[in-house]
Amino acid sequence: MFEDSILLWKFKCGNRDAFCLIYEKYAGHLLTLAANLLDNKDDAEDVVQDVFISFVESIDKFRLTGSLKSYLATCVVNRSRDYIRKGKRRRTAAENQSQLPTSITRSPVQLAVFSEELNKLSDALTELPYQQREAIVLRLHGEMKFRQIARLNNVSVKTVQSRYRYGLEKLRSLLNGEVKK
Amino acid sequence: MRPAEKVEKLIKKLQYKASAETHDKVLNNVIQAMDRYEKQKPGARASNIRSSIMKHPIIKLAAAAAIIIVIIVGVSHFGGNGANLVYAGVVEQLASARTMTYSILTQTPVESMPTLRLEMAFKEPGCVRTITADGYINIIDWSQNRGISIWPPERQYIDFEASNLQHDPEKNSFMVVEKLRTLPYRADEVLGEKEIDGRVLQGFRVTKADMINTVWIDPVTEQLVRVEIKYPNAPGMNTIMTDFQFNVELDDSLFSLTPPADFTRMEVQADASTITEQDLIEYLRMWSTWTKDATFPPTFNPLELPKITAEMIKQGEFGEDRTQEQEHSAEAMRMYRGIMFVTQLPAESNWRYAGENVQFGDAATPIFWYRPIGSGTYRVIYGDLHVEEVAPENLPD
Repeated sequence: MFEDSILLWKFKCGNRDAFCLIYEKYAGHLLTLAANLLDNKDDAEDVVQDVFISFVESIDKFRLTGSLKSYLATCVVNRSRDYIRKGKRRRTAAENQSQLPTSITRSPVQLAVFSEELNKLSDALTELPYQQREAIVLRLHGEMKFRQIARLNNVSVKTVQSRYRYGLEKLRSLLNGEVKK
Repeated sequence: MRPAEKVEKLIKKLQYKASAETHDKVLNNVIQAMDRYEKQKPGARASNIRSSIMKHPIIKLAAAAAIIIVIIVGVSHFGGNGANLVYAGVVEQLASARTMTYSILTQTPVESMPTLRLEMAFKEPGCVRTITADGYINIIDWSQNRGISIWPPERQYIDFEASNLQHDPEKNSFMVVEKLRTLPYRADEVLGEKEIDGRVLQGFRVTKADMINTVWIDPVTEQLVRVEIKYPNAPGMNTIMTDFQFNVELDDSLFSLTPPADFTRMEVQADASTITEQDLIEYLRMWSTWTKDATFPPTFNPLELPKITAEMIKQGEFGEDRTQEQEHSAEAMRMYRGIMFVTQLPAESNWRYAGENVQFGDAATPIFWYRPIGSGTYRVIYGDLHVEEVAPENLPD
């Protein structure tokens, strides 16, 4: 918290190196979050880029009230949701699978992991309803509490817990199905 | 069937490692957007002006003196009694915290004076670090009785001794964090609930003669959220402390007294025991040589001094700086010691400063007075800097 405050102040004072440090500190985490939400490398990069652009444009008025990491993660979640709502999202790897050669259809996460099991899991994640996927990704990658996810979605904690539980259950079923194949 | 925990573990392994090229591309795009935004921003020119003000020798000196002192005043003085378990829990949290960070915002009713913001960090066994919005850093390690002030814009630093300072939080104004931790277990007044920044908070008031402290606590989490201090003697001025965090990991490097490589050193010995009235007089004399109209400083509040100095530079109130570069450290030292003399005076000295707009040489106008400990009379300094002993009944109104 303290270090982020220092970086923010330096950045507000016009120090661009401070911004680069903020970027280096959180971009990887945000890209993973966006990639798992959108399952498209280019979309994930666009979303993270847009979040950072909004952040620098609002820096004069920006006031840190919690952790910077959580703030940026929340921005990524909201923007990912906008992407999907506005239909900006490019086709996911899974959607493309039937049309493109296997070598270029891997999702961004799959491109980064070589384990077959993880690739299957990544595919399975894309098959979940978005709300369930979001609950799982925010909980496990965004390191958010159910309470935070509920507030973000304006729903009850129980609803989020249900989405998480059903999502996880479905993933287990999908994975087991794959294994049987 | 796979256990849920295994699926969770697997999901956590779904990491997207972007290539260096991807990061470069995104970062470059953001920086280009930043360039476009900077050009459109109406304040772009103002920031250049501000930058030149910050390079002015006198503001450097003001910052040099103030940055060491800035943690001393106006931050945390608590006293009183009252009752509430939630409040007492917060006091306990303050008292037992291994580490603590918070922001300090000081506002004045003067429009031309920008708000001063400080970030403070404390770590046991006695390390304190402050940083201003402009990046000026001040670190004191009480276990070593040493401190350092770092001015990144000037690439300079001062390392100083903090020896001979009292460690009694009630008497030593340096012990800001300790003072915060001496907040009484009972407040004078329970204020009830109020919504601040979208959060419903419960207020407690602790009143002393020279300041009114309002402590705001989140009743749900029972966490300290905000402390507001108002000064009855300075209407409109207030200090707000927010963003409290307790027991977060603070790296020791934040409290390192080692100066950054390639920064140049300005030496100051902050041995408060050797500071006397003469230091104050020398400071007042020096300031009057800086101003075009030979007037004395408008304030003794170190929190305000750099802001007011910046404003005076903008208004062209200082004459040409003829001081050699090598003399600046001596001047900074003189300034620091003069202000320290005043900030170290106990409340019972009843000191007053009335030098604003008074010109050097005005032998009839008292500009500063105080009562030394145990004395029945006041020491009064006049505009020509001579000193007289004056009975309390003969003091100026």
